[in-house]
Amino acid sequence: MNIVAIRAVILVAILALWEIAARVGNPLIYVPPSAALPALGELLRLRSYPDLPEHLALTAQEIVVAYGLAVAGGLGVGFALGLHRVLGRAYGPILAALYAVPSVVWYPSLMLFFGLDAASKIAFGFLLGFFPVTLAVLAGIRQVNTHLVTVARSFGASSTTVFTKVMVPGMLFTLMGGLRTGLALAVIGVIVGEILGSKSGMGSLINHAYGLFRTADYVALVIVTLVLIVASDAVASLVERRARRWTA
Amino acid sequence: MSATLRVRTLQAVSVIALLGLWEAVVRAGYVDPLFVPAPSAVVRGFGAIAPTALPALGDTLLKTAIAYVLAAALGVTGGIVIGSVRALHDTLHPFVGAVYGLPKILVLPWIVLLLGFGTAPAIAYGTIHGLFPILVLVMGAVRDVDRTLLTVARSYGARPWQVYVKVILPAIVPSVLASLRLGVVFCLLGVLIVEMFAGVRGMGSVMGGLANGFRAPELFAATGLVSVASIAIVLGLDHLNEKLSHWRG
Repeated sequence: MNIVAIRAVILVAILALWEIAARVGNPLIYVPPSAALPALGELLRLRSYPDLPEHLALTAQEIVVAYGLAVAGGLGVGFALGLHRVLGRAYGPILAALYAVPSVVWYPSLMLFFGLDAASKIAFGFLLGFFPVTLAVLAGIRQVNTHLVTVARSFGASSTTVFTKVMVPGMLFTLMGGLRTGLALAVIGVIVGEILGSKSGMGSLINHAYGLFRTADYVALVIVTLVLIVASDAVASLVERRARRWTA
Repeated sequence: MSATLRVRTLQAVSVIALLGLWEAVVRAGYVDPLFVPAPSAVVRGFGAIAPTALPALGDTLLKTAIAYVLAAALGVTGGIVIGSVRALHDTLHPFVGAVYGLPKILVLPWIVLLLGFGTAPAIAYGTIHGLFPILVLVMGAVRDVDRTLLTVARSYGARPWQVYVKVILPAIVPSVLASLRLGVVFCLLGVLIVEMFAGVRGMGSVMGGLANGFRAPELFAATGLVSVASIAIVLGLDHLNEKLSHWRG
């Protein structure tokens, strides 16, 4: 039996066990798959939550804006710290220390500052996505072969040429990894923010379903959110592979 | 002036300048102190919340410690077992990878539904949060152990337990320590999230309450307190790590 078949068997076994356990136990709390699937159908046919598309679109928008800001900020700060020795040595450790703080401690302040609407989720997604991008730029710059830079300079390349032709290709591998992690974390930031307190977006629907004990709807909403997350990661991995082929 | 001194000066000057600017901007009335309190107000705020915040921090750190011990024990043993048994690794790694990559926050409402409000969901969620980074890193480290070493050990007649104790364990120590350093932040993060979501005790619920009550100075003070505590924990682990690597030679 090949490995894929074994994995499929395990997956089916888990679902079957879950179904049995849920029926024996409390179906309201454990939500058997047989109850989750119809709920998902109802959700997708817009019966249980007719405004699902708006909420889904809002969450997606928050993710896009948060990630865009995180990439811009991360690249800016990363290159500023990476290309100036003194700045990097002064602020790099401060940045690393802040990265060691569990990110969610900032969220109540952001909520107080930006309110319950999209802005606080965007700010939190930005904050989470910002660090991996910045740190990847810093790590990438350290990886660039200094001989190549020297050779390019001595052949008369301008700073811009050195930057675009030597540095960026040399660090692209690390940079793409950081950009991908940044996206995953920006997504998590937006969703954590929505679940901790919001009036609209997928997190608010999940909270609504959970608060009303509509557990089957809750599972269905989680599945839809997961699809959004997996799709965003699939796009990122596609871009990453493209970029890697370009440098190779 | 030496380079290190220059860097230290720049760090000190920027922090002091930032605090001074912040204080001045608030006092001059450019920002609303309701949202951005001056540093002096934050210090006073700390005085006001210290009697409640310090026990709450202790409560949070205790839950984190329990979650961390569970996550470390499960993550390291699980990682060694899954990493070293080929069949297990090949079948399970997509599942582990999927659960590792997906945001755990989505199951949080369900955990609260299952375990209620209070200490149990915080420990459970903190454990889940810390477990997967540790598991994935240890699994990878075991896979990366030099195959030649294993072959040589076996061909010299090492028993399976000897292969584990003499070859695999010493080889993965650096990765295990790195994963444990990473894991503690994840555990604390998980515990704080639960406390904010459904907490009745701990720093997370204190901070959530302060935010809802628009008590910005106290909230900033509480945020600073948790940040300092977690940076201290990570630095402590780094220090321990360095000592251990010194001892390892």
